[in-house]
Amino acid sequence: MTIPDHSKQKIEAYLTKLRAQLRGFNDQQVAEIVAELRSHVTDKLAISGDAATPAQVDAILVALGTPEELANQYITDNLLARAEVSRSPLRILDSLFRWASLSVAGFFVLISSVLGYFFGAVFILVAILKPFHPQTAGLWLLHDSTGDPEFSFRMGFGSMPADGRDLLGWWIVPLGILAGCALVTLTTRSALWCARQYRKSRALPPT
Amino acid sequence: MKPRDPAEQEAADKWEVQLRKGCLELAILAALWEGKLYGLEILRRLESDSDLIVSEGTVYPLLSRLKSLGLVRSEWVESDAGHPRKYYALTSAGKQRGREMAGMWARFSSSMDKLLAPLVRGK
Repeated sequence: MTIPDHSKQKIEAYLTKLRAQLRGFNDQQVAEIVAELRSHVTDKLAISGDAATPAQVDAILVALGTPEELANQYITDNLLARAEVSRSPLRILDSLFRWASLSVAGFFVLISSVLGYFFGAVFILVAILKPFHPQTAGLWLLHDSTGDPEFSFRMGFGSMPADGRDLLGWWIVPLGILAGCALVTLTTRSALWCARQYRKSRALPPT
Repeated sequence: MKPRDPAEQEAADKWEVQLRKGCLELAILAALWEGKLYGLEILRRLESDSDLIVSEGTVYPLLSRLKSLGLVRSEWVESDAGHPRKYYALTSAGKQRGREMAGMWARFSSSMDKLLAPLVRGK
């Protein structure tokens, strides 16, 4: 069947927007995704009759979701697929950055994950550095300029704080490694859970 | 018949939606069991052979995920309609996963059937 120019333009405008949003996929993957969806729209137009009116094109594109929604689904699915192969925080964060650039949900998951991984890494790092700086590394209770107490993770570089107390002593080594690993695992699981919930929430057509 | 409380109806609908969503991956593997299909055919198969009416925008990304997991492979085939179509077929890993999931499903549903028998009889 032949598709009138104005309908073709609508389809191509949709696919161009989608292409721009598909971050994290290589050129060949993007080309395949776009070609597959173009083929889908063409087939659906052929089924719906001989005149590919703009209204028909609109209905088909609405059924696919907006380009942003569709790109979000590709990105979250890609994140879940990558996570099944490797749960490396770097890979997870890499996918989360892409998701965050497209949706508010992704943005919040990214911020929480960055914080989770950061504190996890701090715990582990302090535990590792404790044997090298036994007097200064650890979780310290200090007092700020107004005299209020504050907790501080110290890597042990620099001098010993004048007014403060190392709260855990050598316990920071096992506890830090344990807490750090738990935080990293928890962060990864939470991020994947959020991605699954997100894609589930879009699995059915709106009623 | 007593009219249903809208909140009760909504809770029942939500449960049904969750139930269907959970089955999508297995449904796609099952749809491909007999041979290769392209995206729109998979959608049609899901609609005709099951009550799984899924959003079209969900199936394509999910197929892409199944492909990255090595459960399906794809190839482009020229069609009579004048444009190429992307066909999906199960890999041996996909068949294996499908069998495992179907086995789990069968065990789960038969034990649920036993448990639910009094409720069904008493309706």
